Amino acid sequence: MMISPNTLVILLGSTALGTCCGLVGALMLLKRRALLADAIAHSTLPGICIAFLLGGSRSLAVLGVGALLSALLSATLVSWLPRITRIRKDAATACVLGILFGAGIALVGIIQRSGLGGSAAGLDGLLLGRTAGMLRSEALLFGISAMMMSLIIISLRKELLVSCFDPRFGLSAKIPARSIDFLQTSLLAATIVIALPAVGVVLTAALVVIPAAAGRFWTDRFDVLLAISALIGAASGLIGTLLSSLHSNLPAGPVIVLSATTLFIISLLLAPGRGWISRHMQQRSRLQDRQVRQFLDGILSSELEESSLVVLKRQPVTTAAIDRRNLVVSSRNGWIETDSQRIQLTPEGRRRAVRARKALQIWREWLTSEASIDRDLIDLDEQDIEKILPPDLIDTLQRSIDHRGTS
Amino acid sequence: MNSPAIEIHDLTVSYREKPVLWDIDATIPEGSLCAIVGPNGAGKSTLLSAILGTIHPASGWLKIFDQEVGKSQELIGFVPQRESVDWDFPVDVLDVVLMGTYSKLGWFRRPGKAQRDWAMECLEQVGMADLKKRQVGELSGGQQQRVFIARSLAQDARLILMDEPFAGVDAATEEAIRLVLLDLKKKGRTVVLVHHDLQTIENFFDHVLLLNLRLVAAGPTAEIFTGENLLRTYGGRLTLLDEAAEAVRRIRTGRSRTGRDQ
Repeated sequence: MMISPNTLVILLGSTALGTCCGLVGALMLLKRRALLADAIAHSTLPGICIAFLLGGSRSLAVLGVGALLSALLSATLVSWLPRITRIRKDAATACVLGILFGAGIALVGIIQRSGLGGSAAGLDGLLLGRTAGMLRSEALLFGISAMMMSLIIISLRKELLVSCFDPRFGLSAKIPARSIDFLQTSLLAATIVIALPAVGVVLTAALVVIPAAAGRFWTDRFDVLLAISALIGAASGLIGTLLSSLHSNLPAGPVIVLSATTLFIISLLLAPGRGWISRHMQQRSRLQDRQVRQFLDGILSSELEESSLVVLKRQPVTTAAIDRRNLVVSSRNGWIETDSQRIQLTPEGRRRAVRARKALQIWREWLTSEASIDRDLIDLDEQDIEKILPPDLIDTLQRSIDHRGTS
Repeated sequence: MNSPAIEIHDLTVSYREKPVLWDIDATIPEGSLCAIVGPNGAGKSTLLSAILGTIHPASGWLKIFDQEVGKSQELIGFVPQRESVDWDFPVDVLDVVLMGTYSKLGWFRRPGKAQRDWAMECLEQVGMADLKKRQVGELSGGQQQRVFIARSLAQDARLILMDEPFAGVDAATEEAIRLVLLDLKKKGRTVVLVHHDLQTIENFFDHVLLLNLRLVAAGPTAEIFTGENLLRTYGGRLTLLDEAAEAVRRIRTGRSRTGRDQ
């Protein structure tokens, strides 16, 4: 496929745009202000319409100024309303979004009926986004913005980190949390305004939030999250624009957002560690380990009680634990030996069962002696238990168990 | 008595015209280990915020080391309540402790090796050096609290404020915090903390501030921490009366515990 220079410019522009959105989105997500992106994006509409009516021009510069002003107005309202009235933050965000977007839609109607030509490419394009008409100068603007934004975020990394994680500490540590806050909101407003022509009023917020939400599945590190989110944003911009330029009747905004959504779903399912599949597998293997452990423990019990051999039919283990899988897993790992009638622990299997039982006993002892323990920590296997408790404590606990046993 | 670390004069703080702290006058001497005690909603955390300068008083003033709070460049170490942050945040333990070094770094500069070494030293003090690479969400509640303590140590401040550092922590953490506090005291630092366990006050803190919207009493523990004052602080709040009564009983019988040995 041949890519014309014009398409190339648009592709580069959208990629840069996606990068901006990803970066800013990650900061908003971490600050738990994702909804603010939605409010700001929607409330740019009345600003755009008023700028069109006053300026009488469809040039992006004029409309952009209008958008930026109403973006800042809505950001201010969202942060002030909860402070001066009893309205809570979420309600304030929803109110501002609804009121300003409603006003915008009404203004669009007025413009369309007034015959000023607003229904032509200009205003309609701003609702759902059009990349096809992107000019070289606009692409350049996106590129420069993405670079500047990355630069700001990199150089203010520590201030942004504190302001996202623990703003109250930031205030106490004389880090100018309010200025940082303002900077973050301004970055968001600027990003949204430059994204409007390509993605549109309705969907810009999605391009800000989705890459960050997807990135969160891949990492537990601040810097890496910013990078991945920027990358996903860039990829969405690139892929979406490419697809929409192949089918000229598809609006760019929805296609870009759908690309981002696809990447989000891939992350949700496939990311190692936090992804759904990986979590599910971990859970399953934990469950299996536990069943096998109980199974081995059951055999150990009966071996200690009577003979060293167990007849399958009189298996004293609970029925749940003695399904075929435990048997298969245990014998495959060389923990038990079976003939037609009997099951017996191998030395290795016996060692395992004894170790698990001992660890559990010690853990119970520790839990009784130390009342306050995290709920998350209570359900552990022997490896964790031996890792968590220091060796001397294990000895002490063992002694107290032994002592109770003999007395 | 030492020169004052904190002077509070006529302080009133209001939240939407409703006073949450009213007419507070108190002095906390330098080098003391001071507990702020009072029932829920007594304004304990608000008082900490006022000392930090994160909220503005409706009237009155505060001085820290003889400088007015708003104008003072004095760095104050701070341990917020553990619940005040989102622990699922993507940072590791060392990153959080390093935040303590930020204010001395200034704009744009990143923490380097010197800061990392110092942060590690602070982590060691709370017994968490091994966990420096852990994501903070994977820690137990007590360990999270210790990370916050280490961060305040990393600030290396003369005055440290802690908001309920002992709330809901395990025995190991309690012990670690206790040791840190004793060490800070030895170094002559001033520590002011909001505390809720009346039974451990007497033997550990040399200074108390009894608070219930207004100041009930403040001064050296031996003089101030009396049954009468406690009842004045908690009086009328039936649910807390038992706790106060218990503390009073302990004081009267002279039987008190020094912490872990019951």
